[in-house]
Amino acid sequence: MAARQQMAFTLGFHIILASIGIGLPALTLLAHWRSLRTGDPVYTELARRWMKAAGVLFAVGAVSGTVLSFEMGTLWPGFMDKYGQVFGAAFALEGIAFFIEAIFMGIYLYGFDRLPPKVHFLTGIPVVVGGILSASFVVTVNSWMNQPRGFRLVDGEVTDVDPLAAMFNPATPVQAVHLILASLMVCGFTVASVYAFALLRDRRAGRVDRYHRLGFAIPFTLGAVCAPLQVLVGDWASRFVADNQPIKFAAMEGIEHTQAGVPFKFAVFEIPNALSLLLKFDAHATLRGLDAFPEDQHPPAEVVKFGFEVMITIGMFLLALAAFWGLAWLRRRRAAGRAGRLGAGRDLPWHPWFLRAALVAGVAACVAMEAGWTVTEVGRQPWIVYGVMRTEEAVNPNPGLRFGLYIVLVVYTLLAVATVSVLRRMRRRPEETAAPADDREPEPVR
Amino acid sequence: MTYADAAVALILLGLSAYLLFGGADFGAGLWHLVARRRADRDVIEHAMGPLWEANHVWLIFVMVMTWTAFPPVFADIMSTHWVPLSLAALGIVARGSTFVFAKAVPDQGWYAWIFGVSSVLTPFCFGAVATVLATGGTSWLGGHGLYGGVLTTALCAYLAAVYLLWDARRLADRDTALRFRGYALISGAAVGLLALPGAALLGVGSPLIAVSAVAGIVSLVLVARHHLLAVRVTGALAVVTVLWGGVAMAGLDLHASAAHDAVLQVVFVALGAGAVILVPSMVWLYVLFQREGAPGR
Repeated sequence: MAARQQMAFTLGFHIILASIGIGLPALTLLAHWRSLRTGDPVYTELARRWMKAAGVLFAVGAVSGTVLSFEMGTLWPGFMDKYGQVFGAAFALEGIAFFIEAIFMGIYLYGFDRLPPKVHFLTGIPVVVGGILSASFVVTVNSWMNQPRGFRLVDGEVTDVDPLAAMFNPATPVQAVHLILASLMVCGFTVASVYAFALLRDRRAGRVDRYHRLGFAIPFTLGAVCAPLQVLVGDWASRFVADNQPIKFAAMEGIEHTQAGVPFKFAVFEIPNALSLLLKFDAHATLRGLDAFPEDQHPPAEVVKFGFEVMITIGMFLLALAAFWGLAWLRRRRAAGRAGRLGAGRDLPWHPWFLRAALVAGVAACVAMEAGWTVTEVGRQPWIVYGVMRTEEAVNPNPGLRFGLYIVLVVYTLLAVATVSVLRRMRRRPEETAAPADDREPEPVR
Repeated sequence: MTYADAAVALILLGLSAYLLFGGADFGAGLWHLVARRRADRDVIEHAMGPLWEANHVWLIFVMVMTWTAFPPVFADIMSTHWVPLSLAALGIVARGSTFVFAKAVPDQGWYAWIFGVSSVLTPFCFGAVATVLATGGTSWLGGHGLYGGVLTTALCAYLAAVYLLWDARRLADRDTALRFRGYALISGAAVGLLALPGAALLGVGSPLIAVSAVAGIVSLVLVARHHLLAVRVTGALAVVTVLWGGVAMAGLDLHASAAHDAVLQVVFVALGAGAVILVPSMVWLYVLFQREGAPGR
């Protein structure tokens, strides 16, 4: 249990960092592209700031990722011993993608004022691609744990290993798309919430700061575009789970007994037959409940259900915000069409309640990410590899592991506090603070 | 040569690279802790700046290769030595983040302090585990482990001092450069005095130890004669041969626990394809950095 908590904690930390690490370069490139198109220095400044922040988060993410690869062995020796070779290739590929991301991030950060603008923009692309690829490779391992493929068990021994079949298991496409969209949403809404805070302050001070407005608009738009897509992918994901891990689905939806015409239950609401209808397009379809499976294969159903509800609620909240933003944008376009020009974000919804909601959306998106990940991980219990290996067979039996957990908790809490405080300092003093990997004079040398 | 042999060679290559580059980073952290003068610390921070934690890629490479190619070995090592290895991992976390923090927020002195301490802790833990594995010692806090930990930390400090000589001459004034020469000579002598009796006691008969000793002595002479770039090569040779000697002594036979050839094939293809992209882009990055540093310095 201590091992699971430690893994959950360190991974939960890493997943947010990694999400922002994937999303921020994308935001940077969006801003950079706008600056190339419009020549507006505000966009250039945003791009510069975002990539610097990405650099800091990237370093913290790299070390927290190193810790995870340690924990694979120190916490789960049984798992690594038996199946390490089956999914190892995915991590080798992940390492390469990560390395590409790191190198080009260095080139991009260093390229400001040193490379020709177009080339500089292009060097940002491998950063984004590398981030997305490396996340996808890691996800293949998790989807493999849900849908183990690419090996055979003969008398308990792993044979006929096919690493590619393991990597491209049936759960990979849906999980990868779901996670990448989720991380773009986390990044978009989190970054936007920082600027929502600044905009609220501007309002109180009676100022209008274009830098803050654009800093809000770009990431929020990214999040808003992903939100409706994520609803569709989420639907795909739950259908996939219902077909392939029915017990996880039963736990998610809180189906106790196998029955026909299952109602859709959500918190206190209940719509008769709706779940059967949603899933099978037949109001009287029979769905398997938890009681269809042996007791010793049940996941902690309440946790899974709660996580699922949290994720769905937040998803709907984000979708509503996205719809509001989209409508406002459409109205603005129509108005601008009449006036013959586009105002500089003047007619977008800068209502304080919208900004407050956007402020909450940043935290909410992170919570939804953690909740969704809880659903897939806890929902797979008691298995570490679904249907093949139980978690207790994988864990390091050493009782001292609990102390390791405490130390990790303390260190990571300190790390999180320090990261936030350093990022705040960077925000406060944009001119004086140099990039972390770059303490040289910003004189261009040609 | 079987696939397993190739995998061992790659792991050893990764370990050597981690020792030579990552080890120097750890050593630089140690000197950062010891050096009281601002000028010394500036040289160290500047030299580390561009590479900055990227060297852990080698460590991740070694771990991924080990768990893919020799899963039972990886599981056994990691679960038996989980205490020092977890400490090392925490050290890496603390080091990497405090280095950035100390730069972003220079007025917080304790970030720099944590950076220094974790830079010593991490190589100590790695060295202790490696030595226990090589010599069949009991625990990382037993005699072999402690010796290996101290030796590894000293090796890292020596490497860093040798590498920093050139940076000090390039970036700082004469006094600072002289101090770094002192660091290199002292740590070089100390490592030699630590390593040779240890090798004799542990019964390392490998000729590599002789190579290491010769390279070490040549390095001392080169430092004294101001051949600051050549000494990087001999210093690195002196250090890496200690690792190789240890591996030769351990004489591990890994074939029994090797993964299936199909797995290793995919990994090798992936690494080859990755190298095609990685090597040119690394060269580009390096050229960009050098072009920046060269004029006016």
